[in-house]
Amino acid sequence: MRKVITGNQAAAWGVRLAKAQVISAYPITPQTTIIEEIAEFIDRGDFSARFIKVESEHSAMSGCIGAAAAGARTFTATSAQGLALMHEMLHWAGSGRLPIVMVNVNRALAPGWTIWCDQNDSLSQRDTGWIQLYCESAQEVLDTVLIAYKLAEKTLIPVMILLDAFFLSHTAESVEIPDQETVDAFLPALDFPYKLDVENPAALFGAALPDIYQEFRFKQQTAFDTVIDELHRIESEYFQRFGRQYGEIESYKCEDADIVLITSGTVTSTAREVIDRRRENGEKIGILKMKLLRPFPTLSLASALKSARKAAVIDRDISPGCGGIWAQEIKASLSDVPESQRPVIFSCIAGLGGRDITTETIEQAIDITIKDDFPAQEIYWLGLK
Amino acid sequence: MSEDKPIIIQGYQDIPPMTVARGRMSVNDTGSWRNAEPLYIDHTSPCNFHCPAGNDVVKFLRLTAEGKYNQAWLTILKTSPLPGICGRVCPHPCETYCNRGQLGGRIRIHDIERFLADVNIDSKYSLPKIKYPQGKIAVIGAGPAGLSCAWQLNHYGYPVTVFEKHKLAGGILAVGIPRFRLPVEVRKREIGLISQCGTEIVTGVEIGKDITFAEIREKFAAVFIGVGYHHSYSLEIEGENHPDVVPGLSFLKKTALTKPFDLKRQVVVIGGGNTAVDTARTAFRLGAKVTVLYRRTRAEMPAIPDEIDELLEEGIAIEFLTNPVKIHSSQGEITHIECVRMKLGEPDASGRRKPIPIEGTNFKIETEQVFTAIGESADLAFLSDSIKTQRWGISTDEFGRTEVSGLFAGGDASTGEGTVTSAIGSGRKTAIAIKKFLEGEESEKEDLIPPALVNVNSHVVTLENLNLDYFTALKPIEIPCASPQERITSFEEIHRTIDEEQALYEAQRCLSCGSCPKCDNCYIFCPDAAIHRSLEPSKNYIIDIKHCKGCGICAAECPRFCIELRSLMQS
Repeated sequence: MRKVITGNQAAAWGVRLAKAQVISAYPITPQTTIIEEIAEFIDRGDFSARFIKVESEHSAMSGCIGAAAAGARTFTATSAQGLALMHEMLHWAGSGRLPIVMVNVNRALAPGWTIWCDQNDSLSQRDTGWIQLYCESAQEVLDTVLIAYKLAEKTLIPVMILLDAFFLSHTAESVEIPDQETVDAFLPALDFPYKLDVENPAALFGAALPDIYQEFRFKQQTAFDTVIDELHRIESEYFQRFGRQYGEIESYKCEDADIVLITSGTVTSTAREVIDRRRENGEKIGILKMKLLRPFPTLSLASALKSARKAAVIDRDISPGCGGIWAQEIKASLSDVPESQRPVIFSCIAGLGGRDITTETIEQAIDITIKDDFPAQEIYWLGLK
Repeated sequence: MSEDKPIIIQGYQDIPPMTVARGRMSVNDTGSWRNAEPLYIDHTSPCNFHCPAGNDVVKFLRLTAEGKYNQAWLTILKTSPLPGICGRVCPHPCETYCNRGQLGGRIRIHDIERFLADVNIDSKYSLPKIKYPQGKIAVIGAGPAGLSCAWQLNHYGYPVTVFEKHKLAGGILAVGIPRFRLPVEVRKREIGLISQCGTEIVTGVEIGKDITFAEIREKFAAVFIGVGYHHSYSLEIEGENHPDVVPGLSFLKKTALTKPFDLKRQVVVIGGGNTAVDTARTAFRLGAKVTVLYRRTRAEMPAIPDEIDELLEEGIAIEFLTNPVKIHSSQGEITHIECVRMKLGEPDASGRRKPIPIEGTNFKIETEQVFTAIGESADLAFLSDSIKTQRWGISTDEFGRTEVSGLFAGGDASTGEGTVTSAIGSGRKTAIAIKKFLEGEESEKEDLIPPALVNVNSHVVTLENLNLDYFTALKPIEIPCASPQERITSFEEIHRTIDEEQALYEAQRCLSCGSCPKCDNCYIFCPDAAIHRSLEPSKNYIIDIKHCKGCGICAAECPRFCIELRSLMQS
């Protein structure tokens, strides 16, 4: 079935097809239409799930944690301030190793008060023990929800799926909605091995003394180490059933590229247009789309950038006092690669607080990167007034 | 909780992905952080506190609410053998102090008690054989005090013989309270149960006439005197020696015993207590035109307020602030009663405002007969002089012991409390003293505490103590009642027993003040899972003090004040 739906509706469809059992959520723009759509599915009887209305995002995640601990497939969605309020519970879910799936619609953080797009909200939750997957299209959102449940349930790591506010959350496009039977075959019911059971009582998440705490973290890291391989396996099954796959990164025309633009989210689509046009002029430019933030795809990134001389990272975010967060991550991960086999990184900040990143912005980033052999500035502020 | 078993962990291979505790977390006894401690204990329900008989009201209401009518009835029988009677004639102080009164309307406890007696009409009840045949006890007077005393003594295993001077057993229940309030069969049924359980009731035998008091003392190991109040006070006014000036109680007795009585056409009844009200209503039903004279106002009338309402509904007039001065007769017949108007002065010893005559306000009320009902006292002529008396009757200590060894007294004849329920309580408490006397034990203060008040905090729960977030105002049931027109032409009982649906609704309205009905709120709300359901039947919950952080949520969320938070801070 093909439908014209928004990114948020695509997320809701993904949750419905995944047969999530408990949705515990609190409204916040621009996420609200996800849970509204889910509520309508439930109300119409198209989707059988328990919808828990809670009083805050902290409680929304707590509800998911409780339900997941009881063995239910759970879902929540939030944005910006909501995600920030959820912070403590993100750790509980992450280190509690509960296979929760959440959609966060990337919205800039206040103050100044805003509802528009940037990625600071989720990037600042980098260390909470969640897998993070950034999406570019509504189709990718739907597919990623289904893939995320399988990945979370296989690795016992919760997954956060990221959508750019409005550019993706509220923009409608044609989406292929898979049939339920095929989804069921791909994603069987959850069987959480540590679920609470009245017949065999246990308390989860009790104390860990200094003699054992570190071992829990070791195990968590070990689990993260398996994520990329699992993702490959799951996506290859997904591809067989549904004909689509995305990868932890996507390398677009990088093979012979001298200069690579590194993007995430919807900026990638705009960049594709620019690159296609400039390639017609003979410029060897490619795009590297970052989908996975955690675990960080160091090896695939290094491999994709092997032949590039220079790369421009477009960050729709900033770690104040340091710079673009994606740029930091990329620089750090490439530091072990010999200089001859890695590009010089140009760090560009653009589109904060929902400002449009247009083709002109992308052109500017490319021009800056072409102009100098080494960056003249630590940060290039694109379109700064 | 399982025993702590140390778990040996060699390395990360031995652990699950997250901490999973199958037993108690001994490493973190968070209870040590506590600066306050919850104490799970029932508090005193106002109904239980104010029941003179000592009934466990809150318990029999809960059992009724659960549909356990037999258990509810058995609960009452532990402290009172007369639920069907009390459910009809008791002034029910339990209801007066019911906290529901401020939240929709008091629980109609007496109607539930009556329902329980009626619904258990065919229920079996028996006692094992008498354990101590040598410890024979005589009870003088088969009124509620004597019957209650006998009932308890039977339960302790002692044989009891009750001597009753009237032909009917029941005391005031038989000869004072008219049938329209207490049908004969209800009285017979409940007194019958007492007889079946081992009490011998001998009627028509008057001590001091048919058998001497000394003889009784000699034949029995202990004697309980519960002769009640059957002697009416006289008016102390001119003209009262006329044969048509009759104590109201005598009139009621003759009516009850179906003896002939020459009731006149137009009568006055003097007094404001239950005897006055019963006399007026009985005379009215027998065709007389009745006026009640009372020297104070409605507010001071000692009769049960509902009964006064019913009397007024039935069309009987009360002249308030009116005192008789003289009874006038002519040619052997009473012609009228001369009265004076009164006003209320300062409160007297009884706490009621003292009536004062207003000079020059004398007036006449035409009448052919005068019933006096201004109070009664005990007729203790049969006793030897050596037994001390006081204002109310026989002098006893708080346990019902007279100064004479083996001689006990209770009910109106020693307490003067004036209700069936207090007579039942008095008889029950004195039975404990008699048992202890026979067993050579000393009475203790604890004997005076009704069983329902033992092992509970003595604080009487108020509405403010309850968590009113959990309760909404609910209206009481309507009690089925005959219309005044139907009532005045018959001696049929006025009120009917409520049906099962009403009993359930009404019992479920009970707030269960201070009494834990296992609602699980504490268990659910405790953020530390430090409250466990108990497996012992005597206690519903156990607080795991090793893990209780003293947050007080259990106490705050207990709807019924069954958890108290005590500070552990040094003041």
